[in-house]
Amino acid sequence: MKKPMIVFALLAAFLAAFLFALSAGPAGAQEARAKLARVKPKDFPTAPIEYTVVYPPGGGMDVTARLLAKHVEKWSGDRIIVNNRTGGAGMVGHAYLATQAKPDGYTVGVIANLMWGDAMLRAQNRWAYTDLEPIGYLNSDALTWVGPTEGPYKGMSIREIVALAKEKPATMRAATVPGSMWDYVLDQVEASAGAKFLRVPFQGGGAGINALAGGNVDIAQGFYSEFRGLADAGKVAPIAVASSERMSFLKDTPTMNEALGSNEYLWNVIRFVVVPKGTPADRKAYLRATIETAMKDPELVAEYVKAGVYFDPKLTDPARMEANLNEYAEREREFYRKTGRLK
Amino acid sequence: MFERVLNLCWVLLGATAAAYAWTLGLVGPAGPDSGLFPFISALMIMGAGLVLLLQPRHALVAPDLPRGAALGRILGVCAGLAFMAISIPFLGFAVSGFITMIILLHAVEKSGWVFSVSLALVSVAAVVWLFGRVLGMPLPRGPWGW
Amino acid sequence: MEPLAGLLTGFGVILTVENLYLCFLGSLIGTLVGVLPGVGPLAALALLLPVTFTLSPVGGMVMLASIFYGAMYGGSTTSILLNIPGEAASVVTCIDGHQMAKQGRAGAALGIAAIGSFVAGTLGVIVMTFFAPAIAAVAIRFGPPENFALMVLGVVCTLFMITHSPVKGALMIALGFLTATIGIDVVNGRERFTFGSVDLSAGIELLAVVIGLFGVTEILSNVEAVVRSTVVDERIRGLWPTLADWRASWVPMLRGSGLGFFLGLVPGGGPVTASFMSYAVEKRVSAHPERFGKGAIEGVAGPESANNAAVAGSIIPVLSLGIPGNPVTALLLGALVIQGIQPGPLFITQRPDLFWGIVASMYVGNVFLLLLNLPLVGLWAQLLRIPYRVLFPLVLLLSVVGTYSANKNVFDLWVMLGFGLAGYVLQKLKYDLAPFIIAFVLAPLLEQSLRQSLAMSPDGAMIFMQRPATALMLFSSAGLIALMFRRRSNPRGESS
Repeated sequence: MKKPMIVFALLAAFLAAFLFALSAGPAGAQEARAKLARVKPKDFPTAPIEYTVVYPPGGGMDVTARLLAKHVEKWSGDRIIVNNRTGGAGMVGHAYLATQAKPDGYTVGVIANLMWGDAMLRAQNRWAYTDLEPIGYLNSDALTWVGPTEGPYKGMSIREIVALAKEKPATMRAATVPGSMWDYVLDQVEASAGAKFLRVPFQGGGAGINALAGGNVDIAQGFYSEFRGLADAGKVAPIAVASSERMSFLKDTPTMNEALGSNEYLWNVIRFVVVPKGTPADRKAYLRATIETAMKDPELVAEYVKAGVYFDPKLTDPARMEANLNEYAEREREFYRKTGRLK
Repeated sequence: MFERVLNLCWVLLGATAAAYAWTLGLVGPAGPDSGLFPFISALMIMGAGLVLLLQPRHALVAPDLPRGAALGRILGVCAGLAFMAISIPFLGFAVSGFITMIILLHAVEKSGWVFSVSLALVSVAAVVWLFGRVLGMPLPRGPWGW
Repeated sequence: MEPLAGLLTGFGVILTVENLYLCFLGSLIGTLVGVLPGVGPLAALALLLPVTFTLSPVGGMVMLASIFYGAMYGGSTTSILLNIPGEAASVVTCIDGHQMAKQGRAGAALGIAAIGSFVAGTLGVIVMTFFAPAIAAVAIRFGPPENFALMVLGVVCTLFMITHSPVKGALMIALGFLTATIGIDVVNGRERFTFGSVDLSAGIELLAVVIGLFGVTEILSNVEAVVRSTVVDERIRGLWPTLADWRASWVPMLRGSGLGFFLGLVPGGGPVTASFMSYAVEKRVSAHPERFGKGAIEGVAGPESANNAAVAGSIIPVLSLGIPGNPVTALLLGALVIQGIQPGPLFITQRPDLFWGIVASMYVGNVFLLLLNLPLVGLWAQLLRIPYRVLFPLVLLLSVVGTYSANKNVFDLWVMLGFGLAGYVLQKLKYDLAPFIIAFVLAPLLEQSLRQSLAMSPDGAMIFMQRPATALMLFSSAGLIALMFRRRSNPRGESS
């Protein structure tokens, strides 16, 4: 009977040593965890914190939120549950966060700047974007035009495509997501070049890119994580990015501005974390600290970078993040006024 | 009689839905608009309702609606479900479910008190454990934290 | 990599203690989730996703995938025993499966469901093994016009499921269409029939409707009658399918497998659509369609095979192209991405160990599930011995949790209650409820595909004739409708 006991004891000792070594970690980690412990309010959290994602599970936003949750859990030791509240292309989740969620620090929203469109155009004065207070910036993703690798339009640059859409209006099928930046970009291009696309509605960028790969549309827009797999396999090709500079992982793809000679094509998704207005200041500060700590983790940054995002320098400084975000929001409101979408 | 009323309801439902769909717009610049699909469906409902309304008397179905004790049981189940829907946000799932089960077991189906209470306790505990712990899905908590 | 070599690699990967354990665990959880009314594979996968972070990529994916097809095995259990679907893909199994249970043949029904699931699942994986890339290349060409034609075919199949008055059936279908439009129009973002309510703007939750219309309705109907103490009137006659059952079932199993596999491939298809199209097909080709609805075993064998084959079909686009066709496969995709793996057409060449590991695990998983489910048949049949007055409160409790699990919104509970009451009353007035559900499921994609097709076509409606697959399916639909009228007008044909 003794031998198994010895083996067991050895295993237990080994396990204990292993776990101890694991938990110790590098000195910097200890420091970061200690800092978090200092900011932690006394009675919070006693239950799991819920990260709400307004898009379906498995999508880009969902993956971003889950990666974040994984690392926040690692650093803070709190239990985080990622919850999806879907519907109406994010509208249901945004409305829930702004109007129904309890501002007690247990509900956190991981959202994108697409929320501003919902707030300004579709909320019908039930809520405003200021009802959600940003506590952390995650990353940004630039909207990219993607073209086919087979068929009559293959290999064309964006200038050629726009020229063709002008020459033969309403023949090029462009995938779009109605009521969002996909439509706005097409509006801008059509207005400034006198072109006309045949717009085919889809529920998201990914669906449009899949349709492109299948030859059902001629041009699509989306984010890097959505088309990367197909692009690497040569089924689709990025042709222009709606950002101010070229992306480091798409060095050969020009920006829309440089290719079309303009400065109005700046469309990206900004992912950030919010809490409902009215969350107690100490809990809000703690949540903010947990996210900042997680975002400093090189592992998390690497995972995000692999998904093809970039980090907007105007938002990475926590002190200026909220102000700059609101500035972006107001710029979007201006765009809606100018294009007649908002009175 | 009952069925005639129902058929009338179908016609009214179809008509109002069709009117609402009309205001959404039937055809837009890019083909069918938001209202077309609901409009056609509503017209179908209205049409079917009219056909049913104009049926001869012998084609009607006389539903055997529950009476007496049976009606009580039906209403009891509905009341139990309604109670759960109303009270879960306030009492939490555990307490709300416990009370509802006791209502259903004892009041509706006349099981004994001891049996009802113990089965309700065990069932609710098992469900909360199964979903909360094993599946990791937190059920709503009451003001007492569970 | 050559299929057989790949498969060997896959088995090499999967046949480790850890991976086998995870496959078994997933099968167990999947079965459990399938049995519980309301909680479906999507909810289970979303809940268990964080667990996969600590596992190896193969282990995590194997577990998630086995939950997916495991749920298709378990879903038939409550459908057959209690007439309450375990999840949306098992709704049609209720129709004939429960009738069989009431005739004391629950064991046979459960057994055929399990075996049909095994046959379909295994056949699906075999096809996947040898033809995945080729099939994926074809599947990707399926665009809005093809989706539309497929949905039309689905609606036509619904017509075959009407057992009472055709007018009432058509009304139910139209009602299903109308109810599906409540919410936000995905094509242009406008709100329809929401009247300012945030809850309604999300649309009516399918799960709440299914549980209400088939679960609560069933409970209300049973509670009304005081005489019956248990679900089953007759004694349980034997636990295994008879030879006659086998003879009747094996062809529907094969048909269901083929149909389900194909429907799993295309976006907008999936296990739900596969199950009821299979039912309609079986009823249509049967020599005695009047037996359906009264305990015809083909009505269990076909759909249960179809929904399992659809799982295999729907995994192909994910693994071969990185394209998800339904929310569950989208989640599987997300799980891969979180692990740092980029799914796409290069996946099979970049990570053959992972690709073939998942494929191999599906063979193993189906075996596990068969071994798990067949012995349980006896256990489940005993469930019918529990007095109903004790059983139904528990089932109601589970239904409430299941419905709530979809959106964590209490509003869905009201939807469930409302549809339950409505279904109870409508059933008394001889309305068919199944056509409503099917129309409700098909309507969104039907409408969206129609509008997308018209938007992408410079020639308007001609696009439906210009694409061969679309035209073929539309002609088939028209043909089926014509056949239906001919049967009806035939004076010696069966009554409707």
